[in-house]
This record gives sequence, C-alpha cells and structure tokens, in this order.
Amino acid sequence: MALPTAEYVKIVEELFEKVKKFTYVGKHMQRWDAIEKILGKTRFTADYANLYRNLVYVYSVRAKYAHAKIRKIDVSEAEKVSGVLKVITHKDVPGVNDVGYVIPDQPLLAYSKVRYIGDIVALIVAEDPYIAEEAGEKVYVDYEPLPVIIDPLEIVDPITLEEKKHVLIHDERESDIVARYRIRTGDVKKGFDQASVIVENEYRTQYAEHAYMEPEAALAIPEPDGGITIIASTQCPYEARRAISKVLGMPFNKVRVVVPPLGGGFGGKEDVANEIGAKAALATLLTGRPAIAVHTREESIIGHSKRHPAIMWYKHGASRDGKLVAVEARIILDTGAYASLGPFVAWRATVHSVGPYKVPNAKVDTVAVYTNGIYAGAFRGFGNPQIHFAIEQQMDLLAEELDIDPVEFRLKNILRNGDRTVHGQLLDHGVGLEGALVKAAKIANWYRKRAEYAKQTGTIRKGIGAALLWHGNSIGAEGADYSAVSIIINRDGSVTFRTGLTDFGQGAIQGLIMLAAEILGVPPEYFRVEMPDTASVPDAGPTVASRTTAMGGNATLVAAYKLRKKLNEVAADMLKCSPDDIEIKAPEVYCRSDPARKIRWIDLIEECFWKGISLQEYGYYRAPKARWDDETGHGEPYFTYTFGAIIAEVVVDMETGKTYVERMVTAYDIGRVVNRVGAELHAEGGAIQGLGYALMEEIVHSPEGKVWNPNLYAYYIPTILDIPKEIIPIFVEAGYIRGPFGAKGLGEPSINGIAPAIANAIANAVGVRIKSLPMTPEKVYLELKRKGLIKL
Amino acid sequence: MDLSGLKDKLSYVRKVNDNIAIGALTTPEDLAETFLHKDKKYLGFYDIYKKFASPILKPLATIGGNIGVAVSASDYLTFLLTLNAKVKLVSVEGERLVSLEELVVEKRTLAKDPNELIYEIIFPELPENYSTAFMKIDRREVIVTGYITTAVCLKIENNKIADVRIAFDRVNKRIPSRAKKTEEFLKGKEFSVDIIREAYNKVLPAEMVRKSDFRASGEYRLDLSKVLMKRTLLQAKSRIVEGV
Amino acid sequence: MSTEEYPEIEITLNVNGKDYTVKVKPYERLLDVLRYKLGLSSVKEGCGRGECGTCAVIMDGKLIASCLVLAIQARGKKILTLEGLAPPGKLHAIQKALLDTYAMQCGFCFPGVIMAMKSLLDRNPNPTEDEIREALSGNLCRCGSYLRFIKAAKLAAEYIRKGQVYFEFKG
Ligand SMILES: Cc1cc2nc3c(=O)[nH]c(=O)nc-3n(C[C@H](O)[C@H](O)[C@H](O)COP(=O)(O)OP(=O)(O)OC[C@H]3O[C@@H](n4cnc5c(N)ncnc54)[C@H](O)[C@@H]3O)c2cc1C
Ligand code: FES
Ligand code: FES
Repeated sequence: MALPTAEYVKIVEELFEKVKKFTYVGKHMQRWDAIEKILGKTRFTADYANLYRNLVYVYSVRAKYAHAKIRKIDVSEAEKVSGVLKVITHKDVPGVNDVGYVIPDQPLLAYSKVRYIGDIVALIVAEDPYIAEEAGEKVYVDYEPLPVIIDPLEIVDPITLEEKKHVLIHDERESDIVARYRIRTGDVKKGFDQASVIVENEYRTQYAEHAYMEPEAALAIPEPDGGITIIASTQCPYEARRAISKVLGMPFNKVRVVVPPLGGGFGGKEDVANEIGAKAALATLLTGRPAIAVHTREESIIGHSKRHPAIMWYKHGASRDGKLVAVEARIILDTGAYASLGPFVAWRATVHSVGPYKVPNAKVDTVAVYTNGIYAGAFRGFGNPQIHFAIEQQMDLLAEELDIDPVEFRLKNILRNGDRTVHGQLLDHGVGLEGALVKAAKIANWYRKRAEYAKQTGTIRKGIGAALLWHGNSIGAEGADYSAVSIIINRDGSVTFRTGLTDFGQGAIQGLIMLAAEILGVPPEYFRVEMPDTASVPDAGPTVASRTTAMGGNATLVAAYKLRKKLNEVAADMLKCSPDDIEIKAPEVYCRSDPARKIRWIDLIEECFWKGISLQEYGYYRAPKARWDDETGHGEPYFTYTFGAIIAEVVVDMETGKTYVERMVTAYDIGRVVNRVGAELHAEGGAIQGLGYALMEEIVHSPEGKVWNPNLYAYYIPTILDIPKEIIPIFVEAGYIRGPFGAKGLGEPSINGIAPAIANAIANAVGVRIKSLPMTPEKVYLELKRKGLIKL
Repeated sequence: MDLSGLKDKLSYVRKVNDNIAIGALTTPEDLAETFLHKDKKYLGFYDIYKKFASPILKPLATIGGNIGVAVSASDYLTFLLTLNAKVKLVSVEGERLVSLEELVVEKRTLAKDPNELIYEIIFPELPENYSTAFMKIDRREVIVTGYITTAVCLKIENNKIADVRIAFDRVNKRIPSRAKKTEEFLKGKEFSVDIIREAYNKVLPAEMVRKSDFRASGEYRLDLSKVLMKRTLLQAKSRIVEGV
Repeated sequence: MSTEEYPEIEITLNVNGKDYTVKVKPYERLLDVLRYKLGLSSVKEGCGRGECGTCAVIMDGKLIASCLVLAIQARGKKILTLEGLAPPGKLHAIQKALLDTYAMQCGFCFPGVIMAMKSLLDRNPNPTEDEIREALSGNLCRCGSYLRFIKAAKLAAEYIRKGQVYFEFKG
C-alpha cells in the first residue's frame, strides 16, 4: 500500500500541487500509433500468422449440452483424420486444468461435466483450419444431460436471497452462490418512516456482448529452451502468463506473453485470452510447432465472458423537501457457468449501489449466482451500468412524485466536496459532480426543452432525460493495486517507453506518453512505445478498471520525475546554473534565467552517458490502500471516483415504439484531462456503446442453454445509421491529489449513465417507463398500448 | 451452385412487350442503376435497396438467389409478390414460366426441379396511376431481418383504391405471402386512413397468424404489420398523387 | 467429400495493380487469398458472414465483403485493398482526413471503413451526411468513431475536390 511517506506518493502529490501549466497534457494530439494503423500496417494477433511457417491450427470442440455429465470422450476417429496431428483432452494437460479467474472453477478442457454451451471438451490440432474443424465433428462424447438452469431465480429466492433447492451446477463447490456483499448504513426502517414519498420497483438488465471487432486470437511459438512464447490478444499480459504457466505446469520465466495491439477489448479480453493463449500453448507444447488459435465470431460470442444480467429490486424514500432519506436494494447478478470476475463485479455494483448521492440510511444486499448461461465477467462499467439503470430511474420517479424537476432534485442530493459516501468515506476534495450536471443542463437547454416537450401531441414525440453516475477508480479492495513503467532515454536522445499496460484502442498509452513528455520536456514524437512483452516490460497490473491513466500515469510521473531530476543536475553542471533553473525543450536545454546559455538535448544525453548516469528509470506506484468492511460495507472502497452527468434527447415513434437518440451531452469530472482526444473518443464511444446496450443489444439463451444469436446479425450493435447526430463531450477538472496532475479514469464510466438517461428521456417523451433492458421498440410500444396511450 | 460465370449474361432489366424482365443474377447494386430506382411507380425497389443488408452485400446478392433461399426475410421475394411476378425456369429439358406465388411453397422450398435454374423474373409493367412501397423495421436501421416487412402495390383512381396488393414477410406461413382478404376489403373503397384502419383492425387479423420468437412477440408483430401496412399505403399513394 | 479431396485450381487476379496467380481450393474465400496467400493483412476477418465490414475491399469498382466471395469467383477481377490506396510513402486524402479528425481508436475496422469511403467518394465527390452514413452502414465500429468518420469523409471529399489526393507524412 502507498505509505504517505513513500517517495512515489510524494512525487505525485508534489507535481499535482506545483504544475498547473501544460505543454502537452490536455492538448489534442495524434496517437503514437495512428500512422501505422491508418496505413493498415498494424499487426493484430491473427496477422502474425503470415510471419510463421509450418503453423498448426487449433480448433475447439465445444459442448453439445449446456449442462451434462461427461461419461466418456472418444477421440479415436478424430485422430485418424489425415492432417490431424493431435487431439488434446483434459488428460493431456501437464499442469493444472483450470482457467478460472477469481475462483478456480473453470476447467480449460471439460472432464467430469459441461456447464454451458461454450465449454470445450477437446482441441483438434491440424495442418489446416478446415481439416481441424472437420475432424472436430468426429469427437464423440457420451453425455448424461442434466437440467439446464437459465433463470437465476431458480437458484435464489428473490426476496430472501437464500439459495433454493436445485440440481447443482457446481456440485464440487456445494453451492451455486458465488458471492454476497452488503451495505448497512443508518437505519432504513427509521429512514422510510421519515419519507413522504416512496418508490419501489424491479429492474432487469440483459446479457450483453462486447462485440469487439477483432475476435480472440493467440499464436504460440516453441522456444529452444523448452519455453513457449505466446502472442495473444489480451488486455493483461502478466495475468495471461500466470494462467498459461499454470496450465502448462511451467515456471513463469519460461512462458513469455507478447501483446500486439488489440482490435477492441472493453473488458472482454481477460479470461478468454488466458483460455485461447493456453490452447495455442498446449498445441505447441504437444506438437513442437508454432500453433495458432483464432475464434470465429460465433465462438467468440459463445465462448467469452458477458456483461452480467441483473435483477434489481429498489426502494427509495425521500422527504417532502426532496432529500433522500433511505435506500433499500436487493441485487441479483447472474454470472453464468463460471465465476470469472463475477465476485468483483458484484462488489463494485454493491459499492456504487446508491448512486453518487448522500444517503443517510441504506440497506443493500447483493448476490451473484451461477446458471448454465455463458459466463459473465468484466465489461466496461463492471456492474455499474446495471445499477445505474435502476437508481437513475428511481431518482426520476421520486422527482415526479415530489413534483420537482429531475435536475433540481438531483442537485439537492448529490455528493459534493466534504460529503461522506454511503460507506462513510470522506470526499474532502475532487468532487466535480455539481459542475458536470450544471454544465450539461445548460448546454442541453434542459429547462427550456423540458417545458417545451410537455406540450406535445401526435405520435412522434421528443423527450429529454438526465442521469448521473459515479465510478470508483482502479481495482479498489479487489486486489493489489499497483502499476509500473520504465522509461529509457537512448544514447541518440530518443525515448523508449515500456509498460505492461496494453492498448485495445482506448489510447490511454498516449496519455502516458504525454505525461512523460510533459515532465521530461521532450516532444511525444521522441517516444517509441514498445509492445507489451513479459520478457521486457514491467508488470503494471492488469489493463482494466479505468486505471491506465490514473495508475499507469502515476507510475509514469515517478519514472519521468526521477529522470528529469538527473537530467537537471547534469545540465546544471554543464550550464553552470542551478538545477531548478534548467528548462528542457528538446532539442534544446537552457537556463530559464538566461535562455542564451544553452546546450543541445543530445549533448546532455551524451554527457550523462560518459558521467555514468543511468537514463533508464523504473516508475512504480501503489494505490492508497482500500478499506472495506464485509459486514457493514463501510470503509474506503476506492481511492477516488469519477463523476458524470448525461443528458439524452430522444424521438419516439409511438406507433412502432422505436426510439431514436438524437443528441447526447456527456459531462465528466475526470480530475484533469490528460489525453484530450482519447477522452473525447471515450465520451463518444461509450455513449454509442451505451446506446446499443440501452436499445438493442441482448444475448438470448434458449431454455436448453443454446444461444439464439451468436452473430453480429441478430446481436445488434449500433451501425452508423443508429447513432445520434451529435454527442457533446464536456469535461470538468476537479483535480484529485493522487492522480497524475489530478487525473482520474474515464474508460468505463463513459457507459454507466447512458441507458438510464435514455430511459428517462423516453419517459419524458411518451410517459412510459421501461424497466428492463434493452428498451426495444416492442417494449415501448406494448407499454404504450397497455396504458392506452396508443391505439392503432 | 456457382453461377458467377453467367453474371454478364443474366444481369439485366429489360422491358419486353408490356412486361419487365429482371435477370436472375441482377444484384441490388445493378438494379440501382436502372429505371426501376427512378420511376416513381417502382420505388418499392429503391425502398428495399435502402434497407437491404448493407453496402458490402449489394453488389453480391442476386435477386435469383433471394428467391432461391425462399425465406421470410427475402425482401425482393416479398415485394415481387405484389407485382404478380412470374419466374422463368430453365433446364436442359427446356424452359417454363411459373408464378412466383406458386413457385415458393414453403420455407426454403421451391416447386421446381433441382436442376431447373431461375433464369429471370417477369412482371407486368405498371400503368401510370400505380405505385409501390416497401418497409422494414427492426431494432437497428440496417443489417437486419426486420421484425416484419411489408410491400404494397397500389392503384389510385379518383381517390379510390382501384387496385391493391399487399404482401408481408409472413401472413400465415413461414414464407412471404399476400394478405388477400385485406386486399379484397380495400379494393374499390375511397382511400382514407380510416378505411385502412378498418382493414387492418377487422380483416388483417383474421388472415394473419404472427408467431413469437426470441426477437419479438406475435402480438407486436401483428400490430407492427398494421402500422407498416398503413405507412406503405400512404407512401405509395403519395408517390402516385404527389409524385414523391 | 472431405476437404483434402478437393483439387486446387489456379486463378489469376489483379490486386492493387499487380497480377497474381495463386492456387486455391474451391472453398477458399477471397479473404483467405488476400490475407494469407498475398499477405495483405489490412483485410480483416471480423465475422466471416458479411455482417461487419472489416473485410471490405473494392472489386471491379464495387465495395464488397471479401469473406462472401469465393476465390474462384474473383478470377480475373481487379481488387483494391488499403495497401494499394496510396503510393508508397504517401497518405491518401481519406487517411489524412481520418488523422485530422482524430478518429483512430483500435483501428480494426479502419481498413474496411477507408475502402467504404473510397468507394463512396469515387461515385460521389461531395456527399451529404446522410449519404456518408448510408455508404458506411455496413462497417461496424465498436469503439464508436462513427461521428468522426462522417467529419472525415466530408473533409476527404474536400481535399480531393481541391485536387489534394495524396499527402506526404512523417513517421
Ligand atoms: C449480412 C446479410 C444481410 C442480409 N440482408 C438481407 C436483406 O436485408 N434482405 C434480403 O432480402 N436478404 C438479405 N440477406 C440474404 C441474401 O443476401 C439474399 O437472400 C441474397 O439475395 C441471396 O443471393 P445470392 O446470390 O447470394 O444467393 P446464394 O446464397 O448464392 O443462393 C441462395 C440459394 O438460392 C439458390 N439460387 C441462387 N441463384 C439461383 C438461381 N439463379 N436459380 C436457382 N437457384 C438459385 C442457391 O442454390 C441457394 O440455395 C442478407 C444476407 C447477409 C449475409
Ligand atoms: S468479415 Fe466479412 S463482413 Fe465481417
Ligand atoms: S476503431 Fe475499433 S472498431 Fe472501429
């Protein structure tokens, strides 16, 4: 944990206090990799196939049932197919046959039973991908089908949250409850007694799919010493190395993971990357040849983690003057066949479960359960899109009951500097929520439009809705929260940047370069970002939880600061002035008090070389320790929170029920904007992904646990014709002392508030409230019909 | 069956006597180059084009293949039913002309010999006071099957519905077909929203059986059929009367 | 019949201005030939079913899904991929405009998007916003750079109308 006295903490705090003017930070800048990508030269994982000869192809034979005992696996026929080199089953796994993320509950190759339709029973390794697939049909598995459970309410009672009697999915664990969390603050009974209005509702959200454009891929290469190198499309190289080493039974230092740019991740390329990496590595280990595994789109959809479906029951109470007095909630998350990151998702959902408000009395119970659906894990927002969908509609309903404008009602209850969260955490500074909401309302013309839309007639109507959000930064009490980078200034003055944080499109690495450039005084063009590779980059923790800019940024500041200190000292010696007087503006270095006294950057570097001053620095940062009391849900779960306000404007066709989102204003308090382009793209991209989540996306299982829509044709993600005319990103910079120059994360929060803002806008437009996602044309129409608001 | 070798030969739109013939290998992209996309009578073709798959499919998909797959999502098939289209089948034994309605008997099933090739599609030219329209609605705008689709061919004379043909992706089978009872009800009546409403509330539900699946319920599909029937008819009428 | 029993067939196709003769199996797709036989890995496979647009290339002047075309169907065709868009060392106006609008995220959809823009601008030198949306509607971008694509297409059209088709670049 970060001791307040640790050098790295002091560096970050000192820079936050001192530096207020920036050359690169906050400016619009081109990403370091934009040119290679625009030329189509960037190699994504599957593209490496062109660089290796003698490749073998790995095909996964998946379950025929979503829940069944395996009596026997017969691969003899498959092995006979010409061109097949090896058929791998659980018996061939040299190490531990498990790829579970948080809990060791997920075999890489199923042996005693299958628990969902994506479970893998065998791997075919063949000379040609088409042959491999063909041989897959010849693997015979003798199954004993078991009852399939798709509805989490068959696992738990919705009122008591107790486990029901059912055929266990994880009999080895003796329970299908994965995790439970709770919050107990104040006395909800008393709270509700004081309430003059109470609203109580059930909300549901769906299974959702990342649908990154690049399906998962991994390529394994045998090394002369018996080790294996795996090129993999993963967000977390060190985590993948841990998982693959475990399967292979090899020490970490013989397993090398290299991570090319990813064609999207959004949280999805964590567990499945371990799985596909392990599959390729096993094939290489057992055949001695380079092996490639690439998932088809269908495999990708069926075989990787999803966003948890949620069933949420919420009861909110407010006083006549519009103050929240109590919140009670029960949240059931369906984590599918395996835990994946389910326990952490459930925890994050619990932490945020009352929204960014002052709540004196709260009682929240969350439970995550297994079913026979596709396993659910990390997906941008990590439990928060679900609970915000419920909370923010509850807030609108309270405002309606109280006859207060929804923005005004929120302003009466939001967290501000000096307030305590529901967990008792004091937020003494860095809370920019009010600014975000006020600005968003102004730019969206909130009050005027609310008044205008109240007067509509006809069957095409407009509506405007707001939602607030918050999002704890980094991984909080989930685990060891550290990050690291190394910066090397080469003898020619160019800079090498290394970190185990990965880029899956989000562009956060660009932010790190801008931070380093700011401190060192060299332009970002001097930098080359090396590909994440466990053979060279430092372990920076996982690239998840909106932590790259904040955590990686701090590590970057530390490394750059240490380098800068050395550079200043050597330059001062050369220029005969004080180190504090040194200004670096590469290619020049001069004394601030006398700019005529100057040297070249390259000469400064050369001098360091001859003086024996090492210009290779490592920066490490460990977050302040998170605290969480399991009994009460009190403590400091995250060191800081990103806040935001979303305003969405919609047009609803009442005869078809179809909603079109015309415009969105998204205002985020991210402490300090580092990579401005990246921040804007997140505001836009998160809004568009949120729009898909709100209106169209849903993975649907059949009662037998098959997936009805494992493709991009019936799993609808927005096309360019479905998106708003305009998305207006606004940033508030409230500054958090332990973020790089005050910065917080935006990767995930950018989706949290979209669906509820759209839901509230639909309610404003046509007077019906859709309490389950996605808010399809059908749901809107049938609700209008039921209420007699539309008659054909 | 790879017919791409015949592409040049079987890609055309021709007027033959009082008929229009479309070669089986004509693609949506090819159609877009022809008068069918400009003549206001045939704007149903343009409507389909706008909603057909996505640009990367429009130069590849063929109208013959669209009929060949014979599914409710075959948009040209749905529309061509309103044009009383016939299909010319060719095999080594010779050629024959069958009505499209008789050719498509069930989902993925054509009343033809496997070695008979769909050669061209023929339909009578529409006189002046006719026009057509097609609509499809789904959760997103394109790359969709459509919750439902509707095509109409309408003739207006002195604001009377002189002739009308209405097809849906499904009426009571798993293939596109015409809502003939609804058509009969409308024929000869004064064109008005009220009469359309009466038709879709009283007659259409008697001949239409909509099923539920994971994408939508039968109830919603039936109601949406009513809405799109109204909208396509209004669209076709506007094309006849206003020219747009 | 199993895969190995299919005979290979020799086809010639013109890609980015050069003729190539390759041996293909009858079930191989144009996408496979471009990616793995010719090494043109800008052509991506996001779905293999015509649903995503990441494999889009221009064949005989038309934007098509290369995952839905059999290699043998591409016999004798002229194909343009992103690799052939601009002369070596230059950026095409579309690429320049995408940089100018800071559209880049993961970039996996970009090759297809760029080809779709090229196909649009070849037909329509001054497209409206609606025309741009329609032309790009087969290219899914999950990172959500769509609004930037619209701006970029307009900007690229402007460059091209001014005769600025190719640009020098650093890096
Ligand atoms: C992503 C995607 C989106 C789509 N969207 C739409 C849409 O919006 N609307 C729509 O209507 N369709 C859509 N389709 C379906 C498809 O593109 C069409 O049905 C298309 O017209 C089929 O044409 P084809 O030439 O590719 O036929 P093929 O796939 O080659 O053939 C289809 C069938 O017809 C047979 N056949 C083909 N030509 C002939 C012939 N001349 N004589 C006899 N039999 C023949 C074939 O043997 C085969 O059985 C979509 C498909 C995809 C992949
Ligand atoms: S790979 Fe061809 S359209 Fe998706
Ligand atoms: S930039 Fe990632 S999919 Fe478009």
